[in-house]
Amino acid sequence: MAFNASKKAFTLAPTLRSLPNGVPAAPLLNLNAKAAPGGHHDHHSGVLGPRADTAPRWAGGVSTGPSGLVSKTIVGSPRVSLFQQRTMHTSAVAKEAPQVPDYTPYRASNTSTNRAFSYFMVGSLGVLSASFAKSTVSEFLVTMAASADVLALAKVEVELASIPEGKNVVIKWRGKPVFIRHRTQSEIEEARKENWKTFRDPQSDEDRTKKPEWLIMLGVCTHLGCVPIGEAGDFGGWFCPCHGSHYDISGRTRKGPAPLNLEVPEYSFNDADGKVVIG
Amino acid sequence: MAFSTTIYNAVFRRNSVYVSTIFVGAFGFAVGYDKAVTAVWDRWNAGKQWKDIRHKYVTEGGSEDDE
Repeated sequence: MAFNASKKAFTLAPTLRSLPNGVPAAPLLNLNAKAAPGGHHDHHSGVLGPRADTAPRWAGGVSTGPSGLVSKTIVGSPRVSLFQQRTMHTSAVAKEAPQVPDYTPYRASNTSTNRAFSYFMVGSLGVLSASFAKSTVSEFLVTMAASADVLALAKVEVELASIPEGKNVVIKWRGKPVFIRHRTQSEIEEARKENWKTFRDPQSDEDRTKKPEWLIMLGVCTHLGCVPIGEAGDFGGWFCPCHGSHYDISGRTRKGPAPLNLEVPEYSFNDADGKVVIG
Repeated sequence: MAFSTTIYNAVFRRNSVYVSTIFVGAFGFAVGYDKAVTAVWDRWNAGKQWKDIRHKYVTEGGSEDDE
């Protein structure tokens, strides 16, 4: 924008901007006047170059036009070097005060519903986790148990009518011998009149038999696993030939190194068929 | 009082009650899940399992060599 020097009245926006050479941008001030030759810049030894402190040509200047002397001052001159316009940027705009958006539409109208829902979801996860943990443990333990087909084959039936009174029968059950003794009445009385509380492995004859005439137990010596001999030993029961353990007529250890009574397996009587089912 | 507040005060407020509820719920969930899966299995295999065809081979009270 150029104007004639004859136009006096002029209003410009106040500015605090400095020009790149450090001169304040004062539009009405003519800073383009040349210094007089031979002035106080004389010590420059006659070099009459342009003054170093004058405004550049793009800021305006004095010229002679057809209507006389014209002084031009260009306002809003292009910004250079130190003043860069950034058309794209990611920096946050500096604000006078932090402006918080209005979150009211997002706020829950009733917080107790949200609270109950949160607890419910946490509790549901707990329910699933507890159920999962329980089934993990129980399924792992089930793998240790014998399967149903093994258990079905692991039973032995013995016809009791074929065993006369006062006789032993040895059968094989799960790879181990099982003694079945059809005891006489006198043997039962002998087994029951003993003071079993003083024995090494105190156990009453009533605990070891379901029916007093039938004594059923594993034929494995509790000392080191030999098979005792029936109707032998000091107590009229069993005698282990390996290390001399004596068992009485109820299979209880009475003498020798055996620490425990002969083990009684699980069994049940089938009265209708007259059989005993071991296992 | 709203339902959510009622259930919060009844179950969630005390941790002992909360954890007990979780364990009881886990037990119930396991039972229900087992029943549901078994029902689906039985429906899928309807007519193929022994309990479905047992009546064809076993007559009650008979001396057949069953099972």
